[in-house]
Amino acid sequence: MFIDHLFIHHLRSNSLSGPLPYILQSLHQRTGLFMAVLVGLFTSTAWAQEKSAQGAVLDAGIRLQKSIGLYYENGLTLQYTNPRLAGQRLYVGVSYVTSRLGSAFRSNAIKQDNYLVSGTYMFRPQRHIRPLVRFNVGYFSADLGSDLFNSLPHSGLLASPEFGLCYSPRSPLKLTGSLGYNLTAGNGMSGPGTLYPVFVQTSLLWNILKK
Amino acid sequence: MKVFTAICLILCLTVACSKEPAITEDMLDGGTLFDPSLYQPEKYLVSRAIPTPTPAQANTPVIIACHGYTATTFEWDEFRTWLGNRTDVYLSQVLLGGHGRTYEEFKKSTWRDWQEAITAEYERLEKAGYKNISLLGSSTSGPLLLELVSSGYFTRHLPPRNFILVDPIVIPSDKTLSLVPLLGPMLGYIDTKQSAQEDKVYYHFRPQETLQQLQKLLTLVRRDLEKGISLPAGSRLTVYKAKQDPAADPISAVLIYKGVKLSTGGPPDVQLIDSDRHVFTRLQFVEGVTEKDYKTQKDTFAAILAQALAP
Repeated sequence: MFIDHLFIHHLRSNSLSGPLPYILQSLHQRTGLFMAVLVGLFTSTAWAQEKSAQGAVLDAGIRLQKSIGLYYENGLTLQYTNPRLAGQRLYVGVSYVTSRLGSAFRSNAIKQDNYLVSGTYMFRPQRHIRPLVRFNVGYFSADLGSDLFNSLPHSGLLASPEFGLCYSPRSPLKLTGSLGYNLTAGNGMSGPGTLYPVFVQTSLLWNILKK
Repeated sequence: MKVFTAICLILCLTVACSKEPAITEDMLDGGTLFDPSLYQPEKYLVSRAIPTPTPAQANTPVIIACHGYTATTFEWDEFRTWLGNRTDVYLSQVLLGGHGRTYEEFKKSTWRDWQEAITAEYERLEKAGYKNISLLGSSTSGPLLLELVSSGYFTRHLPPRNFILVDPIVIPSDKTLSLVPLLGPMLGYIDTKQSAQEDKVYYHFRPQETLQQLQKLLTLVRRDLEKGISLPAGSRLTVYKAKQDPAADPISAVLIYKGVKLSTGGPPDVQLIDSDRHVFTRLQFVEGVTEKDYKTQKDTFAAILAQALAP
């Protein structure tokens, strides 16, 4: 509900127009529902038992992110793999990180949301320490807090590669750390001003299919 | 192999750090050109021109105009020209510490040195008895003035009547500034692309040490804004911010709007200007200036003057 509220709030404050922004707005509006359905679906007992038997992995956890030079943005992340996805090397995932759960919590920092869909390739999947590369795409939106600033860019597409390591000391637990680069950062002439290029992230994940 | 790699790395870093810019005598950086306020301060500073004001002079509004990073008093020369021979307002053009001198002096200066020139003029005017002072800042002077407020400077001094900020920077447009603490020592300095005329009134080279100082200042002020900054009682804040700006991201205006409160609790006055120039009030030596740019400049000068004269 909280996430849905955020989407609706953003939809009201967004001044975009045209077909692409409409699609993005629709996606934006539905992402909260999508994530809720995803969690519900993946964690339904029967499905989980079946998938676990098939060697599927569904990691759920928290993602802590810091833009170098700007905000802390934290949130939730999910990633899924099974033996058919490059022998459990390839993960697909979704993440939501927001400054509302970071720098903007009880402060005047700008409230901004990042919705990410990602593909991750994990090297040496059977080892404790696994190098990883990830590519995220998604949508960024910032609540500038007043109609006065409607003419400033406050939303846009996200695209970012990440490079890092995953540490899995025992089976259901994973800790990942990576360095990412936003390809669509703002530059004063276009793009949201609080979308910074370089970020670091840490995720603490638990395989919820593991029995 | 490891030793070889380490030696190569150290050599690379040493070479990178020892890089010196190719400064010429035609540049402000070179030690032959200096800001004219250093030779004739009485032409630029009210505290030097009228050190013992009459009661009428002491009540005349004084605008202290402060320039941006790498600039000089030149940045507000057009405002002085526009004011002409008016006697109902005085203009002090402050040269920030470390600026308008030499590359080496700039390199060793800190943001507190930059700011100190503002407080020195402010305190001279206050001591002389001037009662109606407004602070006008462009670009980096924006955060320098905001830091004075957040640090409580004006609880110990006469509060200014107005804070007027033109294209203040809190968030840089070039986001790689945030990487300067990491990459700066390897770069040594940054070469700017500006005209030969601008080279005489703006530093051409930006030492990484000063970029680190700028980054420190911006981070400090951004965090202060996140916590909230209250203006002194009786002070107003007006921000003029270009909608597009290659140096100070327009989002800076949003952070100031959200982060500063008047003593009455209201927000500051923020006006977005239809311009894509940084410090759109300085048009001399700028290429491709249009009639619209001149009109915007004049309108803003008129608005600044009206604020300084307002009771």
